[in-house]
Amino acid sequence: MKDRFKIFLLPVSSIVFGIFLLMLTVFLIASLPIFEKEGLSIYTTNVWKAVEGGEEFYGVLSAIYGSVYTSVVALIIALPLSIGFAVFVIDYVPAKFKEILIILTDIMAGLPTILYGIWGAFVLVPILRDYVMKPLYDHLSFVPLFSYPPTTGYSYLSAGVLLAIMVTPFASAIIREAYRMIPRVYREGVYALGLTRYEATKVLVGYIKPAIVAGTLLAFGRAVGETVAVSLVVGNTFNIHPSLFAPGYTISSLIANQFGNAFIYRYMPSALFASGLALFVIGLIVNVLGLMVLRRWRYA
Amino acid sequence: MLRKIKEKLFLLGITIATVLTILPLFHIILSVILNGLPVLLERGLAFLTDTVAPPGDGLGGIGPAIVGTFVLTFLASLMGLPIAILTGIFSAEYPNSLIGRATKTLLMIMMEFPTILVGLFVMDIMVIPMGRYSAVAGALALAIVMMPYVAVYTEQALREIPRIYREGAFALGLSRAIVVFRILMGMARKGILTGVLIGIAKVAGETAPLLFTAGGSYRVYFAGLDRPIGAIPLLIYDLVQQPYENYHQIAWGASLVLMLIFLAIFLPIRLSIKEVKM
Repeated sequence: MKDRFKIFLLPVSSIVFGIFLLMLTVFLIASLPIFEKEGLSIYTTNVWKAVEGGEEFYGVLSAIYGSVYTSVVALIIALPLSIGFAVFVIDYVPAKFKEILIILTDIMAGLPTILYGIWGAFVLVPILRDYVMKPLYDHLSFVPLFSYPPTTGYSYLSAGVLLAIMVTPFASAIIREAYRMIPRVYREGVYALGLTRYEATKVLVGYIKPAIVAGTLLAFGRAVGETVAVSLVVGNTFNIHPSLFAPGYTISSLIANQFGNAFIYRYMPSALFASGLALFVIGLIVNVLGLMVLRRWRYA
Repeated sequence: MLRKIKEKLFLLGITIATVLTILPLFHIILSVILNGLPVLLERGLAFLTDTVAPPGDGLGGIGPAIVGTFVLTFLASLMGLPIAILTGIFSAEYPNSLIGRATKTLLMIMMEFPTILVGLFVMDIMVIPMGRYSAVAGALALAIVMMPYVAVYTEQALREIPRIYREGAFALGLSRAIVVFRILMGMARKGILTGVLIGIAKVAGETAPLLFTAGGSYRVYFAGLDRPIGAIPLLIYDLVQQPYENYHQIAWGASLVLMLIFLAIFLPIRLSIKEVKM
């Protein structure tokens, strides 16, 4: 029998596919002029020569560097926090507070990101500058990581810390769910061996390693794509510097910052679409990998 | 002995991790209230209805931005919800078909997609051809952001209905469309409504998709669907980057308003269900 219902629904749900494919096409086509002009130098150089009617040249390496740098910093902070939080909430919190803690992190995961942005710019950055960056710079500036003078505080570190705060609840929700699903016999088993709580947790956390990997990947995808909060604290400077305290750009903050006046230049819109394409590809790879790991583990 | 010390350190460690995870939320809420409440108290209701003050001179209000957020959210729902719900039905009804599975995967990917790219996309297909920023462009961008959330919730709500109801309905000789729309949708309405509200809460707070689509408008109330329009998150983003002290105050006031709107939608949903995805 012909399924008329399916034939009715099919065009509607193919709209979602259509949008996705159209998006990819638009990014590819809009990036073409800059690829024809510069080839892959758009991704491998750090130049930003915007001249009206003159010789333009764009290289967004600093933004790619900044996106990866800030997201890695964010994950280094967020990963231990989210594992610790997940273990604490599942194993050690009295039932009464458990629900409250989970609701609080759900609020954090959904909170409009601009609120993180304004708080980051006006509250977090001054705190980090005065209590973290300045002391470290004063005493340890010979270490490359701390070698940039923190005058404004807008930096990779500020962006990384803010992103960490934003993605911890998200990563922790994935890890928490997996940790909760560990079969009861495993839990009873490890304690029956006479292990301490620390040793038992170590074994149990090892058991959910794939979920932790998936949480990390998906959190990285979120951090890399975040725009407004990051652009308010990262400093928005074309810069490739090893120091945490240096200002920089990320792909999304570059787009947010430059796209508004890009159209008076001939190649800048195309250059920004090309950087968007890089973000598109990075985001797609990371998220697909994350979802695959999660799915395979769930059905294993 | 060493084991006992490790045990203590471990318990201390996860307690600290928990505190550090939650602490920023309180700090943010407190900062927004401490900085935003004086602005709201000083201006009273006028803050919600007036237009933004000139640089360096007073506070004015954020009326156009509030109207803009409501208009954009409403339009985005109008465009996005029907498609999203039907897509959710499709992937729930045909979970084993190739397209059904692919749809599900695509929705999960789109949920995590960087929203700034959606803004850029709509800019290219709509703002450039039209020659100006507009409310419809902003709403389209928000609709694309909203769709995957609503579709995934709809799918889950339908999948949770026990098979026996579906079989019972088919046994009565009803067609598939009637079974889905009249019976299953009714049973899954709470789950679907949750998805709709989550989608609305999500897009009401979005900034990045609006950057190059809505354009922003803070002195003029709604001017038409094909004209630029403001939004509260966009207003905050613009004002924070200005050097004027009074603009920063307005931004804090607007943040308080946005936070209250978000909590007013989000908390009731969260308290009525076990788990949310955002």
